[in-house]
Amino acid sequence: MTLSITDVTKRYKIRVTGGQVNALNGVTIKLSVKETLGIVGESGCGKSTLARIIVGLEQPTTGTVTWDSQSIFDKAKNMISSKHSKIQLVFQDPYSSLNPRQKIGDSIAEVLKVHKLVAKQAISDRIGELLTEVGISQELAHRYPHQLSGGQRQRVSIARALASQPDLLVLDEPVSALDVSVRAEVMNLLIDLRERLGLTYIFISHDLSMIRHISDHIAVMYLGRIVETGPWEAVLENPRHPYTRALISAMPDHTVVGSTTYQAPLSGEVPDPAAMPTGCAFHQRCPIAVPSCSVNTQDLRTIEPRHQIACQEVK
Amino acid sequence: MTNPLISISNVTISTTDDDRTLVNSVSFDIAPGEAVGVVGESGSGKTLTALSLLGLLPRGVHVTSGSIIYNGNDLLLADREKLRTIRGNEIAMIYQDPMTALNPVMKLGVQLIEVIESHDGDSSSATERVMTAFAEVGIPDPKRAYESYPHEFSGGMRQRVMIAMALILSPQLLIADEPTTALDVTIQQQILALVVQERRKRNMSMLWITHDLGVVANLVDRVIVMYAGRVVEIGSVNDVFTNPQHPYTAGLLSSLPKASDINRTRLISIPGIPPKPWTVGNSCAFSPRCERADDKCRSSLPGLSQNSHTLAACFHLMGGGA
Repeated sequence: MTLSITDVTKRYKIRVTGGQVNALNGVTIKLSVKETLGIVGESGCGKSTLARIIVGLEQPTTGTVTWDSQSIFDKAKNMISSKHSKIQLVFQDPYSSLNPRQKIGDSIAEVLKVHKLVAKQAISDRIGELLTEVGISQELAHRYPHQLSGGQRQRVSIARALASQPDLLVLDEPVSALDVSVRAEVMNLLIDLRERLGLTYIFISHDLSMIRHISDHIAVMYLGRIVETGPWEAVLENPRHPYTRALISAMPDHTVVGSTTYQAPLSGEVPDPAAMPTGCAFHQRCPIAVPSCSVNTQDLRTIEPRHQIACQEVK
Repeated sequence: MTNPLISISNVTISTTDDDRTLVNSVSFDIAPGEAVGVVGESGSGKTLTALSLLGLLPRGVHVTSGSIIYNGNDLLLADREKLRTIRGNEIAMIYQDPMTALNPVMKLGVQLIEVIESHDGDSSSATERVMTAFAEVGIPDPKRAYESYPHEFSGGMRQRVMIAMALILSPQLLIADEPTTALDVTIQQQILALVVQERRKRNMSMLWITHDLGVVANLVDRVIVMYAGRVVEIGSVNDVFTNPQHPYTAGLLSSLPKASDINRTRLISIPGIPPKPWTVGNSCAFSPRCERADDKCRSSLPGLSQNSHTLAACFHLMGGGA
């Protein structure tokens, strides 16, 4: 089984101005089963739009997404295909993704009923199984989300995502809203589940340290494009794209203490996706840009096996 | 040791309705020109502690005991008028969300002019001062900024405006409550570089509140670690990060992935969650989650005491190190 995202673009029309936002500009990703792809980028880079397209919550403007050679979105029927229950999304904030008036157990039961996954009399057993799977007590099935801690709530959303026995989990900033001391637990759980259930992950985050910890492959996104991708060691230990380098050096590192020579690696801000720069979208902030960068669109090219960058200036 | 700029002793903050203790006997000093970081998770009391310095505690909570000595005056006993002159002039604050500090329907220039007028009354050169302040914090077009509304600016630029507003009266102490948490990392780095630069230039003291250990590691001189409303460890940033003595500090640090760990070893997690400060009673608040805890930890409260590295509140220090 493979996830194939081919040349996906997503444009949103802006009604007021008549303009458009280019959220994704030709994204291509291939991911094999049981692998984890980490997608890193700052706000507006399109990582969450991509997540929503992969799970079928949005349609791409152009391009295709297939899982196990079947399209996620069934164009003929104008609906998401039966494949989609095999792909599940876990959101950043479990407090907003769980219904506050629904008990934890009921919220998992809903998934089991909608997809007719188990017989009625087996539902409560299955809820118990799922809660055990994510390491929380079955008693919590009778609680409401507000009675749980942040870490427990995120475990519940993971349990809910696992209810349909998915092959692929799209995790959109799954630990970013959690307290520092709880993050490690949830990361460990995700790694355990991946091994135990043979899951494939797309792990989306702005936090490079978490991406680094869990990913087999990494894709770095900037303004709707992948600017660098490859095995995690290649991308993080030997980053080649100037944006990846800047991102790595901007990550606060608790193991480097007392060096008070703060240097911002990049000047300026991410341009407005509704007014995309010409040529390479990064050229205005890029430390190595030359005049032609504002003209030439940069496509990914292979610089070493499986390691690709979209930059003409890196040899 | 030089006289501290501000000296916080035994500050306890409780809810007014049901007298629940949220911050318990917090004490620390900030020296002139010193940067101090307060690290803690949500509910640890770090923000309330900072707000109490300015008399800005939200409705429903109040300081029940302690003192905050600034320039020989106890800020907790100061009247509204006195506090008002200290706020802004002497102690300024920046927040996580700039919209907390900025008025959405007022032009930015006018907002900064207002700060000057309401504090030192000298409005003759106010416009120039605002322009200079905008330029100092790296706003590319100060003239345009002067005529802009907050919504016309990006998050990073609003943060710069808020910093300009906080610095315009040249305060002695800047209190920062997670001002970079909502920003992208490359923008965060720009803001941190700006703060470091301005602090040096002005020899200003700083109290930086954050949950992000990576941010304070390279920003402050000393670190205070808070847990369940109490200070559990204080020390130089180097000692706290390389030789943490409190098991909570050590646990927090080891739960973070390390950029140098090529094998990506399993993260060490701290089981459980922090307790509500008012439920702790006469015991170490961390004891239910602590591997080292014994009966003593569960029946008595360890006070802060000096060890060879830091000041830590624990009966079973981590030890080790040089």
